[in-house]
Amino acid sequence: MIPQEPVLALLLYSGLAAAVTALGALPFALGRPPGRGLVGLADALAGGLMLGAAYLLVGRGLDEGVWPVLGGAALGVVYTWWIRGYAGLQDLDEGSVAGPERGYKLILRNGLHSASEGVAIGVAMVLDPRLGVFVALALGVHNVGEGVSLTDALVGERVPAGQAAGLCVASKVSQPLLALAAFAVAPSLAGLLAAGLGFAAGALLFLVLTELVPDAYERAPALGVALAVSGTAGGVVLLEALLL
Amino acid sequence: MARATLVVFLYALLSAFATGLGALPFLFLRRLDPKALAAANSIASGLMLGASFGLLREGAHFGTSQTVVGAALGVAFILVGEKVLEGREVSFGKLTGAGARRILLLIAVMTLHSFSEGVAVGVSFGGGATLGTLIALAIAVHNIPEGLAISAVMRPRGSSVLACAAWSVFSSLPQPLMAVPAFLFVESFRPVLPYGLGFAAGAMVFMVFLELLPEAYVNAGRSAVALWVSMTLGAMILLQRFL
Repeated sequence: MIPQEPVLALLLYSGLAAAVTALGALPFALGRPPGRGLVGLADALAGGLMLGAAYLLVGRGLDEGVWPVLGGAALGVVYTWWIRGYAGLQDLDEGSVAGPERGYKLILRNGLHSASEGVAIGVAMVLDPRLGVFVALALGVHNVGEGVSLTDALVGERVPAGQAAGLCVASKVSQPLLALAAFAVAPSLAGLLAAGLGFAAGALLFLVLTELVPDAYERAPALGVALAVSGTAGGVVLLEALLL
Repeated sequence: MARATLVVFLYALLSAFATGLGALPFLFLRRLDPKALAAANSIASGLMLGASFGLLREGAHFGTSQTVVGAALGVAFILVGEKVLEGREVSFGKLTGAGARRILLLIAVMTLHSFSEGVAVGVSFGGGATLGTLIALAIAVHNIPEGLAISAVMRPRGSSVLACAAWSVFSSLPQPLMAVPAFLFVESFRPVLPYGLGFAAGAMVFMVFLELLPEAYVNAGRSAVALWVSMTLGAMILLQRFL
C-alpha cells in the first residue's frame, strides 16, 4: 500500500488527500445540501482530526528534542496569527465582506490553511513514512469536512456546485506542494525536523482555534461540536496506536 | 512499611495543598469585564488541554487503547452530569443557573481527576522512592495550574479568593487518599491506571469544548482566544517536561 520510495508515497497520499476535498461538494451537486447544523459538525470533525494530528506531531517531536519543538510551535502560532491579520481573514468571521471579495478570501484562507497542513504531512513523512501516510489520510478525511464547509459558503455566493468542487481541490494544491518542500528541507539541518514538527502542530492548533471550532459553534450546538471534536481527536490517537 | 506509607501520604497531601496556591493571582483581581472573563476561560482551557496532553502521554505508557476507553468514559461522565444537573435548580453560593452548573461540573471533574493522580503517585512510589518523590513534586507543581483553572472559572463569577483556594484544595484531596492504597497494592492498581488517566483527560477536553470555549468566543475575538489557549498549553507542556 505504501510505495517503497518515500517521495512517491508523499506525493501519492498528499495528492489523494487534496483530491478528496472535492467529495465535500458532492451532496450539493446531488441537490441535497446539508443543513447549517451539519455543516457545523463537518467543521468540528475537521477540527478534531487536526487536533489529533497536532497531538501526534508534538508527541513525536518531544522525543526528538524539547526546545526545537516548542520554539517551532511558537513560530507556527505566531506565523498563523500574523498571516491571518495580514491577509485580513478576520473579516470573514465578522461577516463584513460579501460577494467576490468574500469568495477570494475564502479560497485564500483555505489555501494558507492547507499549506500548514502540507508541512505537517512532509515532516511526519521524514520521521516515519507510515506516520506520514497516516497523517495524510487523517487530513484527507478532514479535507472532506472542509470541502463541505467551503462549498456551503461558495454556493451561498451563487457559485455552482461543480465549480465549487474544483475550487475546493485548487485551494488544497498548497498541501502536496508544501508537503514536498518540508520533506526536502527538514532533514537538512539538525533540529530542523523537530522544529518542523512543532511548527506544524502549533499552526494546526491555532487554525483549529481561529477557524474550525468557532465556525462550528456558530452553526451547530456546543454539545454536538464538543462530541465531534473529542470523538475524532480520540479516534486519531487510538488508530495511530493500533496501526503504527 | 508503615513509615513508607506515611511518607507517601504526606507527599500526596502536600501536593494537594499546592492546588490552593492557584487562587493567589486572583487576590489582585476583583470584578472582571467580559474580555477578562474570556481570557480567564481561555487560560483555563489551555491549562486543561495541557494537563490532558500529559495524562494521555502518561496513559499511553500503560496502554493507549485502555486510555482512550477511559477518555470515552470521561466524556460520558460529563454528558450524564449535564443531564442530571440540567433539570434542577442548581446553586453555588450566590450563583445559580448555567454558571453554577459549570462550576459544579468543573469541581467534580477536577476532583475525580485527582483520584487518578493519587493512584499515579502511589504506583510511582511503589516503583522506587526517587521516582516517587519526583512525581509527587511534579504533581504538586501541576496542581497549581489546576487551582488556577478552578479559580479562573469561579472568581469572575463572584466567589471569594478563600472559596477559590478552598475548593481547589478540596478537588485535590483524593490524591493522598488514593496514593496510599495504590502504593500498598501497586500490582492491583497498575492495570486500572490508564483508564483513570484517560478518564481525566477525556472529561477535561470535553469540558473545554462544551463549556469553556463557547463562552470565550462570545466575549473575545478569535485570535485573542487562540493566543491565550496556545500560550498556556505550551507553558503546560514545558512544565510537564521539566518536572
